[in-house]
Amino acid sequence: MIRPRLSRFFLYLILIFFVILFILPLWSALVTALKTEQDLIYTTPIEPPKTPTLEPLKTTLSVMGRPLLNSLTFTLGATILSCLFGSIAGYVLTKIRFPGSGIVFALIILGIFIPYQAVLVPLVLTMVRLGLYNTIWGLILTHTAYGIPICTLLFRSFYEDIPDSLVRAAQIDGAGTWTIYRRVILPLSWLPFAVAAVFQFTSIWNDLLIGLVLSRGIEAMPASVALANLKGGFVALWNLQMAGTLWYALPALIVYFVLGKYLIKGYMAGAIKG
Amino acid sequence: MAKVIIKNLKKRYGKAEAVENLNLEIRDGEFFVLLGPSGCGKTTTLLCIAGLVIPEEGEIWFGEELVTSKEKGSFLRPQERDVAMVFQDYAIYPHLTVFRNISFPLEVRGVSRETIEKKVKGVAESLGISPLLSRKPAQLSGGQRQRVALARAIVREPKVFLMDEPLSNLDAKLRVAARAELKKLHEKIKTTIVYVTHDQVEAMSIGNRIAILNNGRLEQVGTPREVYDRPANIFVASFIGSPPMNFFEGNVNRQDEEIALDLGFALIKLPEEIKKAIVKEGLSQLTVGIRPEHIEIVKEKGKSTEGLIEAKIDIIELVGKEFIVHLDLGRWSIVSVTSSNLDLREGEIVWFSLDINRVHFFESQTGKALSTS
Repeated sequence: MIRPRLSRFFLYLILIFFVILFILPLWSALVTALKTEQDLIYTTPIEPPKTPTLEPLKTTLSVMGRPLLNSLTFTLGATILSCLFGSIAGYVLTKIRFPGSGIVFALIILGIFIPYQAVLVPLVLTMVRLGLYNTIWGLILTHTAYGIPICTLLFRSFYEDIPDSLVRAAQIDGAGTWTIYRRVILPLSWLPFAVAAVFQFTSIWNDLLIGLVLSRGIEAMPASVALANLKGGFVALWNLQMAGTLWYALPALIVYFVLGKYLIKGYMAGAIKG
Repeated sequence: MAKVIIKNLKKRYGKAEAVENLNLEIRDGEFFVLLGPSGCGKTTTLLCIAGLVIPEEGEIWFGEELVTSKEKGSFLRPQERDVAMVFQDYAIYPHLTVFRNISFPLEVRGVSRETIEKKVKGVAESLGISPLLSRKPAQLSGGQRQRVALARAIVREPKVFLMDEPLSNLDAKLRVAARAELKKLHEKIKTTIVYVTHDQVEAMSIGNRIAILNNGRLEQVGTPREVYDRPANIFVASFIGSPPMNFFEGNVNRQDEEIALDLGFALIKLPEEIKKAIVKEGLSQLTVGIRPEHIEIVKEKGKSTEGLIEAKIDIIELVGKEFIVHLDLGRWSIVSVTSSNLDLREGEIVWFSLDINRVHFFESQTGKALSTS
């Protein structure tokens, strides 16, 4: 009886060690964001501040306020649009089969494998021509287009589990392709929508590259770019950077806490069925 | 209400022929059953009638209206045909209540709210599902789901009902009850029903007429009585009836002017028409089919041994009031259905006789029945 208990003890010890290791950066960001510039010098990065202050958080919010709003706008817009288009594409590819649908699907999936870096120059040129360079709409369009392949893949595998007879029944009942989508398929899709939304929200929110090349001034600047700009040229003001990081991480964390359980459920469903 | 006419229907899936040159005429108000083993093309035929599958060739008519013809370029989409369908898995919408499930076809067609309310309640009443109207499908039993699917089809008052094995997911007891109800329902509404099943007992008990399909081809159409008593070929004879018909190969035995058939264990006298057919076609072999219920077992050999054949009882299966007796004749075996009042034991020696008037004769090569009518 002693040995299992002892091994259990060591197991927990190891686990606790790793938990601390993983939480440490977040802890450090939190305490550093609450420090004055003096405390930055007098304390180590993991020590709590001697005189806690909200000043860095206030300062960074005034700098990052607009970029955060920009990010929120185009992230939400592109998330909703890419999920919607992915869902429609997934529905058509599984339930309304047409000649060549396999090829169309293969081409859509190809989009997942095209690296951002390869299309940066043509992307910027296209956006300039369209008059969408340095606008929120340009970012929504780009992120939506880049989100559609992965969303299509996700919705398609979910819709394959919806029996065809359901669609056939709706056809016989008098519904057309669009009515079937709106009244039968869409109401059954909350799970893949939650999964795709979490996935899209976090990946669009965290993007730096596209935001960097498609924005020039504050009008369309994403929060990720604003955060990178906080770095400063000569002095590293760690308290401001960490405060900015906290503001930046907040929306993605909220989304994860609200929809995260569906994300796990969705992955599990896929794992068991597929 | 309408009759359904199918002309030269052909449907391929890749290289496989699902339906080959099918011709059927389903009468107005008829309960018509498409029967056959799995993969025989019966469901494909049904889907073609529904408009869910487009056949490569052939025409489908609803009364005077041409609804499918690739050659003539006319095709009505499922939602434009006045058909309703009940699916094997019921296909009721899981996110809608029972009421909304039944009202769905009316809602989609823009029927007014009051009419919907009235119709749905009426149909629910007649099928005994009124108390379930506010429930979701997940809260229903299999039998209740089947009724909801039926209600959704009936509420439309379509020209033609299509049913794809609607009872096969129910348990045995419920299935028999549902069968009777379906028959009663048809007598009440008198709408044409096209019903697909692989269960010959179901087909026999429910249908006005049955079409038996095999490998995409039509084998026979007729009333249950006709296909049972006068099967057109060996396939139909073996598919209809349980336990299945006994088959034996017989050699034609001509002695002088008298023609008989030698089964090996018995010499059978032939009716005049069969003799004529043998002479005309120059046949030397026939396949003989005898239904188990036309083989009578006796325990004691009476005074007359005429037509009695000796056999050993191999296996006895008790099915309620009847025995299914497997008889061992050395090189042959034969199945008989007999009253379980008889005190039979496995291993016992008994005698049996064949009801000569109920024997079926088939050409061995083609499997076609030789007319005995």
